[in-house]
Amino acid sequence: MMHSESLVARAREGDNNALSRLVQLWYKRIYNFGYKYFFDHDLAMEVAQKTFISMHRNIANLQDVARFKSWLYTIAVNFCREELRKRKSNKAMSLNDLKPGESETSYSWEAARSRDENPERQLRQSELSDLLQNCLMELSEEQRVVVIMKEYEGLKFREIAETLNVSENTVKSRMYYGLDGLKKILERKRITKESIGYEH
Amino acid sequence: MSTKPDESKLISYLYDELEENEALEIRLYLLEHPEELEQLHQLKEVLSTMGRLKDKEVIAPSVVSASDKVSYQKSFLNSGPVRTVLSIAASFLLIMVVGKFLDTEINYTAGELRISFGNQRPARLESTTQASLSPEDVQQMIKSSMVKNNETMQASWALHQKDLDRSISSNLKLNSKRIDGMMKETAQASEDQVRTFVSGLQNDNLRLMKDYLKLSSTEQQKYVEGLLVDFSKYLQEQRNQDLALFQTRMSSIEKNTNQFKQETEQILTSIITNKGVSKKMNSY
Repeated sequence: MMHSESLVARAREGDNNALSRLVQLWYKRIYNFGYKYFFDHDLAMEVAQKTFISMHRNIANLQDVARFKSWLYTIAVNFCREELRKRKSNKAMSLNDLKPGESETSYSWEAARSRDENPERQLRQSELSDLLQNCLMELSEEQRVVVIMKEYEGLKFREIAETLNVSENTVKSRMYYGLDGLKKILERKRITKESIGYEH
Repeated sequence: MSTKPDESKLISYLYDELEENEALEIRLYLLEHPEELEQLHQLKEVLSTMGRLKDKEVIAPSVVSASDKVSYQKSFLNSGPVRTVLSIAASFLLIMVVGKFLDTEINYTAGELRISFGNQRPARLESTTQASLSPEDVQQMIKSSMVKNNETMQASWALHQKDLDRSISSNLKLNSKRIDGMMKETAQASEDQVRTFVSGLQNDNLRLMKDYLKLSSTEQQKYVEGLLVDFSKYLQEQRNQDLALFQTRMSSIEKNTNQFKQETEQILTSIITNKGVSKKMNSY
């Protein structure tokens, strides 16, 4: 993305407007990456905030402007893993662990309500998303992060390999087994194209 | 292609990221192994299903850094109206500083505006008044005014004291006259009042005593009557009890007598029968 690269170059030179613009451009992506990683709104917000604070502090050290995307995702993944470690050691239950969508005040309902489309359809879409998200959460962390980056964030295998600091073949292998795992989970949960098709 | 391609190759084929010759090899392999082809189809379906997982909407926060604030302050200070106000303020400041160095004084008194530079000259009016009056004079004036003031104050105090004394004495006289009159009135009226009071008291006492006696006599009568009634009841009860006792005793005596009779009869019959038997025995 040339536009993004020029912004990165300007931000690296200390242009705060460019930095602000970069945040506006990438915030939704990093938030959604965090959300799919944790299936938790608060943790996703925290990871996004930490990522952009770190970006603001360290962008001057970025050597190659073209590698901004993988650099940014590296920061995000590191914060995600840090939060995961904290969460494992501190087994507190987040309020968002309660099934989202169960109450009117839940985040997913709020998110669904904010759109212009039919609320019922939005709610069904939200429920379907939660269902698929639960399937994603059943994968191992290594497979999940690769699937999210490839499928939802649109990173190339090379970029994912750079981000995770592993070989491209390892990334592809994790992707393959991740998809295979998802296939089995979907079969177990009897989620097929046809079963969710009528919702469309 | 007979050997199974590794997962990375298959995934690359799935994402159409292989070179043409590599893709051809995979295609040939899949033709030979339909179960692998089916597996890839299924993975494609998984991708399409998982594609239904949509992004969450989120609003990016606005970023305002400290340096932005500085630049904002700079741009604020550089704006037209602020610059005009600041330049006017700076001009006033400059005038004040110059005025300070030149000992400038601007005065406005009694419709007169005076601007002076350098050493200050005393005002005309002040100078005339200051020339005519020395400190001793002023002190003398203050003393005399104080003395006058004291005299007038003392005179007014004496006057007020006299008025006060006069009013007090007149009030005392008036009050003593009133008290004397009242005493006389009470002395004249006391004999009749005492008589009526005493007669009233006697009547009241008499009435009270009569009432008391009446009340006590009726109470006593009631009490005696009650006592008599109770006593008669008691006697009746006692009589009944005695009668019952007497009856029971009589009945027991009667029983005993009957029993005694029966025993006697039995004894007599036994004696008679014994006598009869002995006679027969003797006759034998």
